[in-house]
Formats: sequence, C-alpha cells, structure tokens
Amino acid sequence: MSDIFHIVVCGGIVPDPLQTLEPVTGPNGPALRNELQLPHVLDPWAAHALYEAAHLAKKHAGSKVWLVSLAPKAKLQQVMMTVAQRVSLELVAVDGPSGGFTDSAEVAAALAAAIEAIPGLDRSRLLLFGGWESASRAAGATLQMAGERLGITEQFQGVDELTVGEDGSLRILERVEGGQHQVSVCAGPPAVLGWATGNLPEPSNSPQIGMQNMRLILPALQKAKPAPVTAGCTFTSVALPKQTRETKVVKDTSVEDIAREIVEWVTAE
Amino acid sequence: MAETILFLAHTDADGTLGRIALEALAVAKSLGGTFIAGLIGGAVQPAADSIANCGASRILAVAGEAFANSRYATDAAASEALAKAAQATIVVAPQTSRFARCLAGVAKRLDGCIDTHVTAIAPGPQITRWYYRQRMEALLERTQRPWVILVESGIAPAWGGPAGTATVEMVAVKAATRTRVIGRQSPQTGQQTIRPDAKLLFVAGAGWTRKQADGKPHIDDAARLILGFLHGSEASLGSSKSLVDLSGEGQAVLPFLSHMNQVGQTGSTPRHPKGLATCCHGEEPHVVGWRFIRERRAVNLDPNCGWARGKADVVYVADAFAVMERVNAMLAERSAARRAQA
Amino acid sequence: MDVDIVCAGFGPAMGGFLHTIAPKLADMETPPTVICYERADGLGFGVSGVVTKARGIRTSFPDLDPALIPMAAPVREEKLLYLLDPHGASRRSFAVRALDGVARIAGAGAKHAVALPWIPGFMHKEGGLVLSIGQFNQWAGERLMTTGAVQVWPGMPVSEPLIEREAVVGVRLADQGDEPGMDIRAALTVVADGPVGPVGRRLDEHFGVPPGFERNDWALGSKMVVELPDDTPLEPGTVFHTIGFPEPDIFGFLYVHPGNLASVGIFVPSWFDNPARTSYRYLQHYVMHPFLWQYLKGGKLRSWGAKSLQESGRRGEPWLVGNGYARIGEGSGTTNVLTGSGVDEAWTTGIQLAEGVLELIREKAPYTRENLERAYVQRRRASWLEQESRVAENARNGFQRGFLTGLAGMALAGMTRGKITVHARSVPSQDRVQPMEKYFGGRIPLEEIEQLDSQCRSDGVPLHDRLMDRLGWPSIPYDGELLMSHQDALLVGGKVQGAPGFTDHVSFIDRDLCLLCHRRICVEMCSGEAIAASKENGAPVFDREKCVHCGACLWNCDNIEFAAGGGGLHSVEN
Repeated sequence: MSDIFHIVVCGGIVPDPLQTLEPVTGPNGPALRNELQLPHVLDPWAAHALYEAAHLAKKHAGSKVWLVSLAPKAKLQQVMMTVAQRVSLELVAVDGPSGGFTDSAEVAAALAAAIEAIPGLDRSRLLLFGGWESASRAAGATLQMAGERLGITEQFQGVDELTVGEDGSLRILERVEGGQHQVSVCAGPPAVLGWATGNLPEPSNSPQIGMQNMRLILPALQKAKPAPVTAGCTFTSVALPKQTRETKVVKDTSVEDIAREIVEWVTAE
Repeated sequence: MAETILFLAHTDADGTLGRIALEALAVAKSLGGTFIAGLIGGAVQPAADSIANCGASRILAVAGEAFANSRYATDAAASEALAKAAQATIVVAPQTSRFARCLAGVAKRLDGCIDTHVTAIAPGPQITRWYYRQRMEALLERTQRPWVILVESGIAPAWGGPAGTATVEMVAVKAATRTRVIGRQSPQTGQQTIRPDAKLLFVAGAGWTRKQADGKPHIDDAARLILGFLHGSEASLGSSKSLVDLSGEGQAVLPFLSHMNQVGQTGSTPRHPKGLATCCHGEEPHVVGWRFIRERRAVNLDPNCGWARGKADVVYVADAFAVMERVNAMLAERSAARRAQA
Repeated sequence: MDVDIVCAGFGPAMGGFLHTIAPKLADMETPPTVICYERADGLGFGVSGVVTKARGIRTSFPDLDPALIPMAAPVREEKLLYLLDPHGASRRSFAVRALDGVARIAGAGAKHAVALPWIPGFMHKEGGLVLSIGQFNQWAGERLMTTGAVQVWPGMPVSEPLIEREAVVGVRLADQGDEPGMDIRAALTVVADGPVGPVGRRLDEHFGVPPGFERNDWALGSKMVVELPDDTPLEPGTVFHTIGFPEPDIFGFLYVHPGNLASVGIFVPSWFDNPARTSYRYLQHYVMHPFLWQYLKGGKLRSWGAKSLQESGRRGEPWLVGNGYARIGEGSGTTNVLTGSGVDEAWTTGIQLAEGVLELIREKAPYTRENLERAYVQRRRASWLEQESRVAENARNGFQRGFLTGLAGMALAGMTRGKITVHARSVPSQDRVQPMEKYFGGRIPLEEIEQLDSQCRSDGVPLHDRLMDRLGWPSIPYDGELLMSHQDALLVGGKVQGAPGFTDHVSFIDRDLCLLCHRRICVEMCSGEAIAASKENGAPVFDREKCVHCGACLWNCDNIEFAAGGGGLHSVEN
C-alpha cells in the first residue's frame, strides 16, 4: 500500500513565550493581561509537529498537511503571517478564545468537529499530529480527547521521532522517565502523535510557500466557524508565583576562591 | 454527595508500584471517604500485596500480558474498565508517562473531565496546577464527574504502610491494539548526560558558545569543561533553549546536547536539590524550569543578570571557563585523594 | 519569483500605501499582486511611542476611534518643560547655566522643572493622537490582511534592490543560512525601509543623490514603555516635551496612553558632541529626573527599544523615484525637524504614492521615472507635506552651533514659517564629535581620562559608565522593576533576539582602522550593547543576539557596514 498520509496538525496559538505574562480576572474567568495585544506564535510543540508533518509529507508524495487551529481569527491571521512562510499547509480555522484557561475537553470537541468536516479526509490514512502539551494549558489532554472523538485508539505522546517502515508501519519514539525514549511500532494509521520537540530545525521562510499558502489561508479564516469554549471549571484564584531570593552577588573574588566555594557546595551532603 | 475515589496505578517494569504511585495513593486517602484501588500491569499480585493495608475498600485489577506494556489502547481500555467497575466519581492517578498518554482519552470515554500535572489537592476537592509553563499557578474546582486527576511527584509523602496479602478482584478487559512496544533507549548523543537522580543540575547557557574575550568562540574548551564537570561531579546536564536552538542552525554546537537537555518553559522541570547555572542569563522562560530546584547558584560575568535578581542564592561574577577549569581540577584532586585513602 | 509590486519594509509609510491601494485592488477584476516584505519578526516590532497630529492617518480612517486602537488616546494636555540638572553633572555652557538661573527664579523648585507658559505653535499637537507605533502598525496590518488584496510577510528582510540597465526590477531577499535570498522581480518596487534601511542606501549609492543632499544629522531615540502606578494622576493623552536634561542637547518626552501606560524617552542627537555619548544610561537618568520620577516611581518597565531618526529632514531627501521604483517614508526624507514629527508625514507619502500608482494602473502606464514623477512626486510637492517640510528645512541648523542657538533658531524658523533661519553648515557626525580632552577638559584631567579609558579597555567595558560616574552622575539604583541593567531591559516584554539562520548584519569594514581607533563611539552608542570591544586587542565584536537594528552604529562611524538581517526587538507595545 502506498504510503500517502493525511496529516492533520492541531495547534493552538500562545503568547510569544518571551513576553511578560500576568493573569487577570475577566467576565469569563481568568485571562492574560492584554492578551490580544501580545504577539502570538503557534504553540511551540505544535509548531514542531507541523514541521515534522511537512517533512513527512515531502517524503511521501501525495500526502497532505492540514493545520487545524482554534483561536481568535485576528490573532490567528497574525500568526499565519509567520507560519505560512515556512510550510505548505491547508488551514482549517475555528474562531474562539485561545487562552490556557479554556477547557481542553471543549476545545477537543470543537477541533474534532472541524476535522470531521474536512472534505476528502481519508481516515485510513489519518495521522493526527499536535503538540504533546501546550505552552498555555500544558495539560496534554486536548489532542488525546480529539483523537478519542475521532475513534483513534493508537496514540503516542511526547514523540520525538517517527520513522515509516517499508511496510508502512510507524516506528515511534516517545519520551518517558529518566530522559529515555520508549520505542513502539504501530502497524499504520490512523494514529495520534503528540510531539515534543522532535529533531528537526525550524524551516526557513520561503516566499514561494508563503504566496502559495496565502491563496487559501484568507478564505479559511473568513469561513471560520465560531466555537465559544468556556473554562469548564471554577477558578478560585490565579496568581504569579512569588519566588524571590536574597541573592548574594560575589564580585572581585579570585577564580581560585570561587572555584573552591563551588566545589565545597557541590560536594556537601 | 459522597465521592467514590479510585486510586489508579500501574506497575513499573519490575512489578512494583513506583514512588510516585505511592504518593498518589497518599493523596487518594487524604481525600477522605471510600476509596478503591485499581491496578494495571502484567502481573499485579505483588503490587497489590504491597498496598494490602492501605485502607482501600476493594482492590481491583486488570492484568495480563497485554497490559504489561505501556500502550494507549490497552491502558485506556483497562483504566476505563476499572473506573467503571469502581463507579468512580474521582480518579486519582500518578503523573507518569504511561498515564499521561491515555487518561485524558479515558476521561472522554467516561464523559468526565481531567486535570493533569496537579501539584496540590485541598478539601473540596480543589486542585492546584500551573499554567503557561509554570509561570502562574491556579486553584480550581470542578462539578463535572467523573474527574480524573493526575498528581505530580512530590505532592505528598509516599504511602509506606506494611505489606500484606491482598484480595484482588480481576476485571476482564479485551483490547485490540495495533501497537507493540519494542523497548527503551537512551538518547543517541553518545553520552548519557541526563541523570534525574543526580544531586546537582548543571545548566550550560548560550554563553559557552559565544565569542569570548578574545573575539573567538572556544567550543572545544567549552565541551571539555562541561563534560569534565559532569564526570567529576556526576551532575545532570541541562541547558537553556537558546543553546539547544543553536544546534539547529549549523552553528558550532556542543555535540552532547539535545532538546532533551532543555530546561524551562518548553523543556523539562527537573527536581535536583541543587542547580548551578553557567553562562546563562537567567531569563524567566528558562528559570521557570528551576521551580523545584532548592539551592541555586550561578556563574556569570554580568553582575546584573537575571540570577542576581532574586533567582539564585549566589551569583559568582566571573568567567565560567576559568572557574570551571579550576573546579574540575579540584574535583579531580579530591577524587584522587579519596582513592588514595581507600 | 515574479510579482507586480514588491515592497520593502512595513512601517507607517507602507501602512499608508497599502491601506490606500488595497481596497481599490480588491475591486479590480485582475488585480496586480502586491507583496510586502518586512524585516522584523512581526508587524509593529519597531519602536516609537508617538504623538502625532494624525492628519494623513485621519484621511485614511475618517471615522477613526482611538478607543479601537490599543494604546491610542487623543491628545488632551501638552506641556513643554525646561528641566534643570539636579546632579550638576551635565555639560552646561555659561548661557545654559544662565537659563537655569532664570528657571530657578521662575519657580523650578524641588522638581527642578519649569513648564513654559505656552507651546510654540509648530510643536503643538492639538487634535492629535498619542499612539504606540507597534500597536498602530499591527492594527493597520490586521485590517490590511483581511482585504486579501495584499500580502505582508514579516521575518523577511530585504537586502538590496535588483538593478538592471539603470532600472530597478525588484529586490533580493536576505540570505537565510545555506539558502541564498530569493530574487523577487516586480514592475514596481516600493522602498519604505526607513532611514537606515539597506535598500534605500543602496539606491543612493547606485543612482546618486540630489544636489544639496546630506544626512549628517541624526538622533537616536531610546524609549521605555512604562506601566504607571495604579494611583497615577496622569490622564491618557497627556504629553510632556522636555528640554535641558539629561544634557541640554538631549530632548525628551513622556506620552500617556490609556491603561496606565506611558512612553518615556529621549533623543540623543548627532550634534551632542560627547565622544562617549550613550543612550540607555541617560534614559535611566531621565526617568529619574524629579519631575518625571514623581509620576514614574513605582512603575514597571514593560518594554524598551531604540531607533535612529533621520534629522536632516528635507535635506536628506533622496531621488524619490526612478525607473521601476519609488520611495516613501522616513527614508525619503519625511521627518519634519521643526515639529519633531514623522509618522503622519510618512503615512501621507504612502497615501500619495498609492494614489499615483492607482492612476498609473488605470492608465495602464509603465512605472517609469517620468510617470512616477507625475503621479507621485508632484502630488507630494503640492501637498501640506512639502510646504511644511520647506518651513522646517533649516529649522535645526542652529544646533550645529550650540544648544541655545539651536533653540533660538527653531523658534525663529517656527515663527517666520521658515523664512528666517540660522545659517550653519552641518558636517558628518564623526567629524564633529570632540576629542576627549576637549569635551571633558576642565572637568576631568586628561591623565585621568586616559586611565579610565585604558581600564575600560582591559575590562572590555564601554567607557561611558565610568566616565559618567566620574562626572557626578549618580549610579542607577536597580529595582528590577523599572530600573534594571541594560541587558535585563533587552529581555523585558519580549526578548531582543537574533533570528536563526542569518549572518551578522553589522560588520567592520577596515578592521585595522578599528584597532587604531581611539574613540570607539560605536561601542558607546550601541543601543543593545551588541557591539563590544574585545578585551585582548580592543577589536570590536558584534553579537547579533542583542542588536535592535537601531542603526546608531551606522551614523556614528563610517567604518561600519549595516546590512539586512532578521531579529531585533520583539515587542509590539512600542
């Protein structure tokens, strides 16, 4: 059987991790201060999943890559200005809030509904990719539940590597305890892969890919269906951790003395 | 309405319940009321015996060859069956990779909800977990049931009661799967630099690969000094995202580093008692990964780096190349002296 | 790759251009492809909190409701303040000290500041807006993208124009890692890459510049966005312009946005002849000036940034058009150096070019120099932009001769609508910077300066901190919230970063010259401390992880090459 894959990548958007983040209480529960003003990026591990998807699709002619994203339309558009220069994809947009305080089950339901509606999607070739845990909610639950809703019972999380065998089987490395990977082999799609970082570098920006993608991205954004997800729970409080120490700054001290002090500390019980 | 709590655990490779499972057991007990234990594994009697006196009203299990390995389809079917057999309204399970893989799917099957990476539980129950990669902490509660709660290690002291002889009720589960587990492997970097049980985490920051005072980078020296320290101190190696990213750029890189070493927002949150950061500025997205590290020191040429702003206990303003050269030499001397005495 | 119109840079000028052209393109049956490439990682990652009359902007958005643009507020109160130096550390001529005396008599008091009873008409921004350029650019960009008529791609620096047979036929994108930058061919290239953009500079090199052209005058604008304390008495739309501190030549500002935010910054000009001039530390002293500190104390730094401003204004206007290209925005000399404004002017040139281009599209006329002159340049010449820039043209000349002469010159130019101005020749910045002993003579003995200098060299640090300490500037009490080290500031509100895959975009042309250089003003002026001097031999070393692409190095030393590159500021609040 020829290895054509239909790779659907689920990815939310998160504020650029290097921004200053502060929680505030809104009418619908907690949110981030000035959330819509912060520059956003595609969730980092979902982005890795997307690059892996593109890489896989290139190696298996005829494969397709979709990106399914639930996010406020305007922010998603901004994120696409960067993402769409990197990887050929077809966007399926769902218009809704993107914060970490939304309920993963509700998000999963919306994503699954959007995926079911993708015309021409072949479930027997389906690889459902995504980030293992988002940089916002970091629960590792959404992709799993979306996979369940789509009836996929072969699921892998914390994936760093996927190798397709001659027989179409999927050899998958998942992060486990102790800095190790578990090696499993799945007979073939459909399967869910929640990626960690993988090993691929970020692709560089390509004007041609950008131009090609833009043709379809805008219409996708324009027809994004609304998905008003909620928090799904009651937040009693959300706060920044107070972790400040009284730092002792050791200056004007010889390398010898510093080294000695460090060795004492390192070897102390 | 009284909750029915299911303490759910899987056996480790050696058939026992790991420490984190016993911590989850302590949590299940602390919630009060009836609790039932549910075990999954190849052969579960030894594990059941070890918790025979834990106070569970029943001990249920799904066992057999198919359930020895860590796989979604079989683990999800087993967990679902146990939850239904127990008629659980709350499921407390340890945050292991095996359960992280499947319990959200199980929550969906049970028409319930799930929270993972829970770091504290208060009566209610109310749970505490981190959002935005350890950058903010929330306290929340849910009315939907069943509620699956995965608890992080360190949440409570592990239950340590005496073993006994357990009466195990086996629950029959058939689960089809197209996946087989081959085994485990360490990262292919040629060096095992990640040591979760080490006493010290040594973080190498991007400064190690930057141009030094003479305008040139000194990658070979950096590699030698870092590996030398790991060897001499048996520390675990972590790094910042910026250093790990450089590996993707074709820039001069430390060959023993991979994404697995990354500590911080998009990396790991290790739990070593001590941490030493070198050539690393101490930015928030990295430092959040230090949340569990108690004693923190840093070596940095900048006396106003992030570490000096309350993120470390001590900052040594010095050139890490020079300091680590001496540190490694002193560690070698100590070790030689100890060998001579022995 | 082939397109119809390719654009370099997305700032206010390009915003005006694309915003005017996009809706009309959307109506066409076969619209031309219009693609814009922007260097920064995101739209709006430039810098400048701004107060603007917003005339051009309001033409484009007639129903503009500032409440819909984040951080925008209508101007409600403007003050011009003369600030005294509470430390006595700045370099003040006899005349300036006399002025200080007058200010004290006029009631400067404990706040060391006197508000002038009125604002000169030319400075007045009544009816205007306080804006964050970053937020405004993002807002404008968002609206553009939804039309679907144009594409804007951030993270794509343009390195040079493509020139064939004396016509511009497109642009070349910057190389990324192993992949050489792609050539984008186009019938029209719109150049809006700012005053230090490589495309504009390359056009100047190749096609030459008009007679009388000079770009000797610059300023480095360095600014913080600060979260004000909760109980701040300052209302959104409050505008303070200041002169006199931290040095007489350094102007400053504070603009209040909604949501308890303020932009506070200074302009370090090329006619500030201090050979160890710098920006960040001066900015911190500015923030701590008693008049400002009463409002800023207890505040938090949200983001910081810096940018070079082309202060020659109209004298720095290059050839605006040629075969296949047109220039708009600050790189085309739109800064009005009398009113101290540029955003609206830049936006307006974008509108003007768009209207011209639409005319040419309708006529099916080619983008020749003559046609672009007719359709764009003439529009520009006939507009308020031209009139006001002529008034402003020589307004700043006086500063070549001194601070008070400069002020007087501005006032004269303003009051006579440019008819009477101070006459002075401007020279390139590196030719007027004074030697150490001349600038600090009388305040620090030469031997001591040399000792400090050699200490700094062997420690591999810039000179300015120790020099300023020695001159009596107090050390900055870091609180980690508002006042922090330079490197920490680069990490706040989105880290300054280099983009993966690009090579160093700042390089030193003749490195032997650098080794002989006594002044190292590049190190002193670098906004991000990206240029440092090697401890071993003093050779300059560039770290692109810290570069904010402000361009200060470019105008402070002509031994520096400043090419296209990605990365830089990563905040959209500026």
